Amino acid sequence: MLTYEPGDTIVHRLDPRSKLAVQIGFAATALAHTTPRALVALSALTAVVLVVARVPLLETLYAYRFALVILALGPIVAAATLGSPWIDLDSGLTTALASYRVLLILLVSAAYVRTTPVRHSRAAIQRTIPGKPGQLLGIGVALVFRFLPVLQSDMRTIRDAMAARLGTERGAVDRLTTLGLLGLSRTFDRADRLSLALQARCFSWNPTLPPLSFSRRDAPVLSLSIVLVLTAFL
Amino acid sequence: MATERSDVDLIEGDVVHAFARAALLAALMGAAAIVTIPYPLSPAPVTLQVLVVFLAGLYLGPLWGGASIVLYLAAGAAGAPVFSGMTGGPGVLLAEPTAGFLWTFPVAAALVGLLVHRGTTLIDPADASLPLVVGSLGIGLVLIYAGGMVWFSWLTGTSIVEAGFAVAVPFVPADLLKLAAAIAIVRSGRIDPT
Repeated sequence: MLTYEPGDTIVHRLDPRSKLAVQIGFAATALAHTTPRALVALSALTAVVLVVARVPLLETLYAYRFALVILALGPIVAAATLGSPWIDLDSGLTTALASYRVLLILLVSAAYVRTTPVRHSRAAIQRTIPGKPGQLLGIGVALVFRFLPVLQSDMRTIRDAMAARLGTERGAVDRLTTLGLLGLSRTFDRADRLSLALQARCFSWNPTLPPLSFSRRDAPVLSLSIVLVLTAFL
Repeated sequence: MATERSDVDLIEGDVVHAFARAALLAALMGAAAIVTIPYPLSPAPVTLQVLVVFLAGLYLGPLWGGASIVLYLAAGAAGAPVFSGMTGGPGVLLAEPTAGFLWTFPVAAALVGLLVHRGTTLIDPADASLPLVVGSLGIGLVLIYAGGMVWFSWLTGTSIVEAGFAVAVPFVPADLLKLAAAIAIVRSGRIDPT
């Protein structure tokens, strides 16, 4: 599974906002250009990012395997035509190039996930989006990270309990209803307890934010993202 | 490091209550990605996620239901393994072939909430009339499919019809089952909406 790994690469030490800017710049230019020449340049840039951030390629490709299946399906669906000549290679090739750039964007984004801890992403959100929405979004993202394993274990418990009672023999709608009903009521129980705990601890609109600052090494990365965004308009 | 020196500006109790429910529902949406239903037609695993989108609209209303799914997307972009296949990262939202579904989820949750609650004041969805609930969920589902197909066809350069065969048609039966389950959950009246 693709997740944050502590490390001391240069990418780990960058400000999360510059890393996000590169993501957006890269995606913008990759979505704007599908010529083979542009894709060669973008592939080279992706390779540099992966090496600098020390992202393991095979592990990352495995993590995105379901997306890759759908990406591979695109060219096949596009190439298939009803009636003679049955296979339209040109249309399939266009879609294949379009699918390839998506793979590149996913690989570059893996570098962000691998090198950015949650508290950095949260600080970036709260400093970028002003006012109350930014506060709630930042805290909310942190809560999702915190409660994801808890609710995953709740869902596993419900699923195992159903299996132990031969719930697997029931119809699909019946099973979905039980899962949804029990999952939602457990979630709301936890939320109500959390809300009480938050209020007991003076949950406020103006907490002290985690420290975050641009440094000199962010300058070339930010410039790169601006260049990438501009190339989207070429 | 700068420290806030102003007075503590407490968040109102009802906002904390709604926010905690929205944040945990977002986490449930992520947890739903691990519960897969065996389904032969689809290349990607069929998860409970559309069901959670429906429940967000039904039980949190248009405002917090939409916000809940936005939180889910933001956490996924920050790297939480909440998208199908337990992936995360900004690239999934920016370019994944099925990201159109993800982008329409919050809109669909808000729309379902708006239609069922007829405004931002929450009612118990068990009290809403059955045709209203069925209609709202149906409209939400159509919206999700429209978003997913338009995105896929734009991204991969296929026609809308081809996109429909690749990412929509295989999922319709499974999503109709989830729609039926959402209705059964609402009719059971076992969830306290307040």
